[in-house]
Amino acid sequence: MALTITCPVCGKRDGYEFRFGGEDKGPRPEQEEMDPESWCDYVHMNRCTAGVQKEWWFHRDGCGAWFTIHRNTTTNLEETNPKERDDDPA
Amino acid sequence: MFFKKKPLWGKKKQLKTSYDAVIIGGGLHGLATAYYLAREHGMRDIAVLEKKHIGFGGAGRNTAIVRANQRTQYNVPLYKEALDLWPVLTRELDYNLMFNNCGNLNLMHSEAAMKAARMNVATAQFLGVESHLIDAKEAKELVPALNIKDDITFPVHGAMFHPPGGIVRHDAAVWGLAKGAAAHGAEIHQHTEALAVNREEGKVTGVETNRGRITTKKVLISAGGYSAALIHAMLGIKLPISVLTIQAMVTQPVKPLLDHVVSSGAYHCYANQTLKGEIATGAHMDPWPNYTTLTTARYIKHQAEALSEFLPCLAGLRFMRHWGGLADMTPDMAPIMDGNDHVEGFFMDCGWGYFGFKSCSAVGKYMARFMAEDQVPDILKPFTLRRFEQHRLMGETAALVNYTADN
Repeated sequence: MALTITCPVCGKRDGYEFRFGGEDKGPRPEQEEMDPESWCDYVHMNRCTAGVQKEWWFHRDGCGAWFTIHRNTTTNLEETNPKERDDDPA
Repeated sequence: MFFKKKPLWGKKKQLKTSYDAVIIGGGLHGLATAYYLAREHGMRDIAVLEKKHIGFGGAGRNTAIVRANQRTQYNVPLYKEALDLWPVLTRELDYNLMFNNCGNLNLMHSEAAMKAARMNVATAQFLGVESHLIDAKEAKELVPALNIKDDITFPVHGAMFHPPGGIVRHDAAVWGLAKGAAAHGAEIHQHTEALAVNREEGKVTGVETNRGRITTKKVLISAGGYSAALIHAMLGIKLPISVLTIQAMVTQPVKPLLDHVVSSGAYHCYANQTLKGEIATGAHMDPWPNYTTLTTARYIKHQAEALSEFLPCLAGLRFMRHWGGLADMTPDMAPIMDGNDHVEGFFMDCGWGYFGFKSCSAVGKYMARFMAEDQVPDILKPFTLRRFEQHRLMGETAALVNYTADN
């Protein structure tokens, strides 16, 4: 199904203008306490939530902003109330 | 005409409270594993749990293409065995899987692609898989409908021809394997949803379902595109997977014109003519993860444009049906088959992306051996989940179609 995404700069736009930037995984692990496992977790691992998740997007064919939204992966609809989140917060 | 037939896999049974092994997911991988567990390893006390009906997911949504022209030395032998097993299974199951080894023609549209194909062909030949590199003229001889003029978006430079590949009827594979598994004693429970995997002291103890609790020591999750979400929700194990909807469609039936599976990485398009005469064609994946399995006009337009460029005689044909399924992609385009690592007695078989169909026969055989003997067969060793933290990703991304979900 088609997707619209609300860019914080440009407003609601066609989803194909954007590049998906991955699930929100919290801050990048610090260099000092990093081990292969935590780095792998940050780089590769996903929750693959079937429901509302927080995720990154890049407005590739627009203003170039990086931002997060909440989206329901089973309907492709944006969720404006972030309390309705199914993935456990990072 | 209106009498009710008993399904091939037996009447609906009461769910027992205990099994030797439980398989979550009644798709081809789950059914094939159940079949080999019961047939080869004498584990007959097993249950396959399927939330909807068997073959509801990727098993019935793929474009039925089988091939063994992958890139790495780890993947090719597995797919080769899967390919070799179709005629064997047809006999063993006494069920016509309609294997048509018409051959795959993978079009190359640049010198760089030809170079990549040369590597692929070398790997295939080294591992005993028939695969040839041919030029555009030879490709045209194989597929007279092919456009090899250079006035299209991606002119054809040549092709990788893989004669042993082809088409298997995917529904027949589902029904045949279900029939075979049931005949050897496995139970197939449709409309039975697994809700949780119970554990105690790092060992699997059972499965909660919507029809009651099951006690078991061994659980396999092989639920196709839903595996990653289930494994995270039930066992807290995160996987390097992105789940994307992938779309496919068929045109109205026409006279025979396509004797091979034709695919193109540059056009993101693969097409074959079914025995009914329809051109079945598939598209690229949605550019963002989702579980919708909904279809979009974007890909109908894309397929129409691509097909009418390299197979121009198809211009003007109408698409009749259009559907979507899920592809669970890993960063290295290779699957994850693992077990007894994070939790004793827990096995997983996922990350198959859009290659789950062509691999199911061999995977069932080896996952069954893994589960029965509690020892990972050599052929499955490279597919461990740990390869990601060891930075030993496989080179399958160098195969001919690439994807970008979040990498």
